[in-house]
Amino acid sequence: MLVPTLRRVGATARARASLALARTLDPTSRLCGSIPLLALLSLPLAASAESTGERALRQELEATKAELSSTQQQLQETRSALSALTQRVDSMQQSPAPPAAASGAETARLAPVNAGNPAISFVVDTRGFSNTHGDGGAGFDLANAELFLSAPIDPFLRGYASINGNSEEGFDVEEAALVTTALPGNLTVKGGRFFADVGRLPKWHDEALPFAYRPLSIDRIIGGESGAEGLEVGWLAPTDTFVQLHGGVYNSIGSELREEGGVFEGKRSWSELTYLAHPSVYVDLTDRASVELGGTWFQQPQRADRRVAGVDVTFRDQPGTGGFYDGTTVGAEWYWSKARGENADPEIDLATGEPLLDADGNEIFGSSVFHRIGGYGYVETFFARRFSAGAVVDYSQAPVGAPDLTRTYSAFVTWRPSEFQRLRAQIDQIVAAGNHNDQRFTLQWTAFLGSHSHGFATR
Amino acid sequence: MASRPAEPRRLARLALGLLAAGTLGAAPATAALRVVATFPDVADMTRQIGGDRVAVETLAGANQDPHRVPMKPSFVTKLNKADALVVMGLNLEHAFLPGVLDAAANPKIRPGASAYIDASLYVPALDVPTSLDRSQGELHPLGNPHFNLDPVRGKDMARAIAEGLARVDPAGATQYQDGLRRYLALLDRRIAEWEQLAAPLRGLKVVSYHPDLVYLAQRYGFEVVDTIELKPGVPATPGHVEDLVARMKQQDVRVVVREVTYDMPLARSIANRTGARLAGIAVITGGLPGADSYVDFVDANLRALVAVAGSS
Repeated sequence: MLVPTLRRVGATARARASLALARTLDPTSRLCGSIPLLALLSLPLAASAESTGERALRQELEATKAELSSTQQQLQETRSALSALTQRVDSMQQSPAPPAAASGAETARLAPVNAGNPAISFVVDTRGFSNTHGDGGAGFDLANAELFLSAPIDPFLRGYASINGNSEEGFDVEEAALVTTALPGNLTVKGGRFFADVGRLPKWHDEALPFAYRPLSIDRIIGGESGAEGLEVGWLAPTDTFVQLHGGVYNSIGSELREEGGVFEGKRSWSELTYLAHPSVYVDLTDRASVELGGTWFQQPQRADRRVAGVDVTFRDQPGTGGFYDGTTVGAEWYWSKARGENADPEIDLATGEPLLDADGNEIFGSSVFHRIGGYGYVETFFARRFSAGAVVDYSQAPVGAPDLTRTYSAFVTWRPSEFQRLRAQIDQIVAAGNHNDQRFTLQWTAFLGSHSHGFATR
Repeated sequence: MASRPAEPRRLARLALGLLAAGTLGAAPATAALRVVATFPDVADMTRQIGGDRVAVETLAGANQDPHRVPMKPSFVTKLNKADALVVMGLNLEHAFLPGVLDAAANPKIRPGASAYIDASLYVPALDVPTSLDRSQGELHPLGNPHFNLDPVRGKDMARAIAEGLARVDPAGATQYQDGLRRYLALLDRRIAEWEQLAAPLRGLKVVSYHPDLVYLAQRYGFEVVDTIELKPGVPATPGHVEDLVARMKQQDVRVVVREVTYDMPLARSIANRTGARLAGIAVITGGLPGADSYVDFVDANLRALVAVAGSS
């Protein structure tokens, strides 16, 4: 601002000299240096005879001096403000503010659950298959598409829901459950629709299974996954050894039974509900080896229409050290089932030896109580962090009616390109009584969108 | 001389006395704070700070890959009885801790509760992702969780642990403060030594298996050019290995760092093809033989790096 003013004054050589000097200085120096220069300029001008031009020049000079005085005052104010700011910065450097994370009552850095929304994930589990015999044929199927939501609800409760569908069924609420988190006495209560605590694999979601298909023995005796609607209480024993007991009461157990309307239609009495008990114990054999044992019992008391007992055992070797060999899991479950159901053969008229017919001319099938068994065993070995291979043997009988004994022998190889994608090849030899042996080839491709975990239950 | 049979009453008194002595002997002199630590690093620091006021149990083993710790039911029983839980933090425990905490039925150590002690609380996080797209690999949303390799960040961890212990056990606050002061003095002394020791690392170019050297590299002035993994947590592809070898030769990278929980053959193969030297380090205390304390862990890692840096 001052320099243009000087330019106006600098018609004379002295003014030009002043301007040249001012240009060589920084703005602050220019101001300071201009004061004596202007004083020098004013003295010779006062001594000379006044002419009109000179008077005009003197007036302009006076105006410039006034402007200079004002600018000096502004400069002084700016310097004061700058000094105060410098002092503040210095004091901040000497005593740095505590980290933002330490303020208030915060005690941990926690990942936000998407600003109050639940954790959301979606699983795509698809298969291509080919059967040499049987009615499976060849083709593709969507084995499972699962939307999973979970979040804490309040300090006392968490909730989760699993909504899934596949090629055979539309989307359905597979699980929608509330779980307590702060009950005393090591108790946990779960309510809603969920997988009842039956054995090991019956409560695993399809996409979490270690092989491409749920064992047929589990499908038949349990009824698919252990889906149930009811109330379940878990108790963790306050001991050094892991001992846990689950007990529950449900409408029924078995996702397929529920989808078919359950064993009972209409209203149930308390004796027609299903009651369950499942103790389990886990022992570390060494730092890397462990064994887990469980026993399951559930029953509908009414006429003992359904009673299932089972044992499950899992051995794990988990070195976890990143070598080529990465661990082994050996698991087995065996179930005894007693269930009332329709006979395989029609009632016979003892007099004629012919089947008895109802009023519509249909054969009459009576009901009986059937005792059936089934189970599986498998081994899976992990290697090179992303690969595993294993084998499964399954023995199954139909829970009611004709036994339809089926043995299945399977081998599988799994590759996980990342934690969120899995490719699996499996071959099954299915030996069913009265049928051709069937070889089934399957390629399964599974991917996980978002944060997906079914937690401790699928350990 | 024939021994005289003891009278039944004397025997009974003796048995009672032994029983009482055994009972008294079994009881702890003071009820120590039961602390569960997720990894040996924070377990060691908690012991150093808490002294006899704490009884510390550790979940994950020293040789385990921290990203792949299994959910063992034996963790649940430890957590169930814990008065406090000390975690490394920045989601390092994501693979196992949420699941076992859900089963542990102990609300006072759940995330955000006062007895949940997060050792990362005062650590300035590096590598905080600007987006959480999984095409970038298995990212930690709060930043790189391998800060424990840098001993200066170890001081931040110790401070958070001491404050957490005092929060859970206010009666012992003075003891924890004294323990912290002693431990920080030890770390300061060793950090000064390590500055001298690590001087050859300055300007060194290395390739590591996993992106876990970011804090250590910043501290001692070496450069991590790339990782053997394609992306964090995603194994190398053949194409990536070829590209990595070419770039290592081009940029004259002379050291391959293999964290001891990762595959040796691939790291050795890359080192052989590029003429680089191979250094084995641990990412968790106790991962290298004889380095069972946090201080020894830092020391062993730096010596392993300096050993190859000096001759590369």
